[in-house]
Amino acid sequence: MHPAPSIILFTVLSGFGFGLISIVGLLQFLSQISTVNIVIFSAIGLFFSIIGLISSFFHLANKKNAIKSMSQWQTSWLSREAISSIFCLSIVVGNIGWVIVQNRYINEVGIILFLLSLFTIFTTSMIYAQLKTVPSWNNMLTPALFIFTALAGGSILLLDYASLVLLLIFGVLQVLFWYIADQSFIYRETSVGTALGFSKNEDIRAFDVAHTNRNYLLNEMVYKVARKHAIKIRYISFFAAFVLPMSLILMFPGNFSVSVLVIGIHFVGIYFSRWLFFAEAKHSVSFYYN
Amino acid sequence: MTKLPKCEDKKLGLLIDLDTCVGCHGCVVSCKEWNSSGGEKQLSDINSHQKDPVGTFLNRVHSYERENSCTNEAETFYFPRSCLHCEDAPCVTVCPTGASYKREEDGIVLVNEDDCMGCGLCAWACPYGARELDLVSGVMKKCTLCVDRIYSEELPPEDRVPVCVKSCPTGARAFGDFNDPNSDVSKKVRERGGVDLMPEMQTKPVNKYLLPRIKSKDSVSSVGSVVEEETDATGLLGWVDRALSKF
Repeated sequence: MHPAPSIILFTVLSGFGFGLISIVGLLQFLSQISTVNIVIFSAIGLFFSIIGLISSFFHLANKKNAIKSMSQWQTSWLSREAISSIFCLSIVVGNIGWVIVQNRYINEVGIILFLLSLFTIFTTSMIYAQLKTVPSWNNMLTPALFIFTALAGGSILLLDYASLVLLLIFGVLQVLFWYIADQSFIYRETSVGTALGFSKNEDIRAFDVAHTNRNYLLNEMVYKVARKHAIKIRYISFFAAFVLPMSLILMFPGNFSVSVLVIGIHFVGIYFSRWLFFAEAKHSVSFYYN
Repeated sequence: MTKLPKCEDKKLGLLIDLDTCVGCHGCVVSCKEWNSSGGEKQLSDINSHQKDPVGTFLNRVHSYERENSCTNEAETFYFPRSCLHCEDAPCVTVCPTGASYKREEDGIVLVNEDDCMGCGLCAWACPYGARELDLVSGVMKKCTLCVDRIYSEELPPEDRVPVCVKSCPTGARAFGDFNDPNSDVSKKVRERGGVDLMPEMQTKPVNKYLLPRIKSKDSVSSVGSVVEEETDATGLLGWVDRALSKF
């Protein structure tokens, strides 16, 4: 699949933003956070979520109809994501306002924010996990990876040792995701044979192309440029997203300026991870162009 | 609404005979022509007369070869690929704006361009690459089963079929109601074993394909039986051959 920068930035930034909001919400529910920190970190979460959503807006080819994406929540995960994110961010704004005006907070709002932001990340991941056409996405590891990526990122600024646990879960899920992604087509039934109505093992080769130039399908869904360096990029991604943050947090626990540096490094790693998430994914239409 | 209808009164679709298709791309051209001639809603092209032309098409014809298990020789066949108007159309349910829908009365899957925001998710959800985003108008394009022809009251009755069916010079494409067991397409599917594409995707395509039959040894002339093998010439030609070989 084509790794569009607008979509990668959207999932990385809004994932981090909603991850941060959920951690703030959890701490608010447990009364483990000051009112000042609720305002500051909710605002940071809000900022990143909104930048992410704006980025996704630039992916649309017909932006004037974007508002209509709120209408099909009954069937569409993308629609649910749009509604859920707007709803969640409205509550964040309300919560910030309440805390500033009253100088105290309502614990129950914290648990609502925690659950709603997790649900928003889940809806984002289901946009991809629902697609049978992309087997490496079409399993529950996709939501698990998205949720724990967001929680790990969101926890780095606010938690010290607990963030190590979340990072560790993220690291395990990431390796597992790559492992399964490498296997996915072995366990699936699709081949050029089934694509053309034959049996799976029918020996068929394309001898001429259907069109003389590239087209939308090839650019969007038969993206192969990336796969050449995929393994190297996986190492870079894993080092930046997991190994370095783990080491730095262990060396400087509770050091806020180190946490900020860790977030920066972690972002780079997650960006590469999401780039691979798209670039390595193989869509079933590519069988017609075998 | 992007909810799929529980049952359709009709299941209109195409039956495509790969045994008969000669890969002329006539359906591709006529489809492009018909769907670009009706006012604003065009299938756009970029750089159509320059280097690197790209354009939107609702139908593409691929070319494949496979080994004939009987004669051990390669056989080519052509494969027109377009929307299959699936019963469980994943492109419809993923649509966030309600632009994609499946009609209850005849099962045709359509895009309401006035609602489409061009996110491209439906194209990702389609296993068959049947949807293409129009890069000029920014909305998703797909086969309409020529809904503006088949119900037209202005066209003569014999023209009220999809234009790809009408234009196919070999009759490789048939149009009909797959819900009616007595329709021509249903009969042909039964007689010749019409198949689904990628049944494992559980989309329940309405369109069916008839696969190329494996030709027997008698019905095809093998390459060797037609082309002479290189042998030494005799007589006058032999003398010329030997004389020229000396130099």
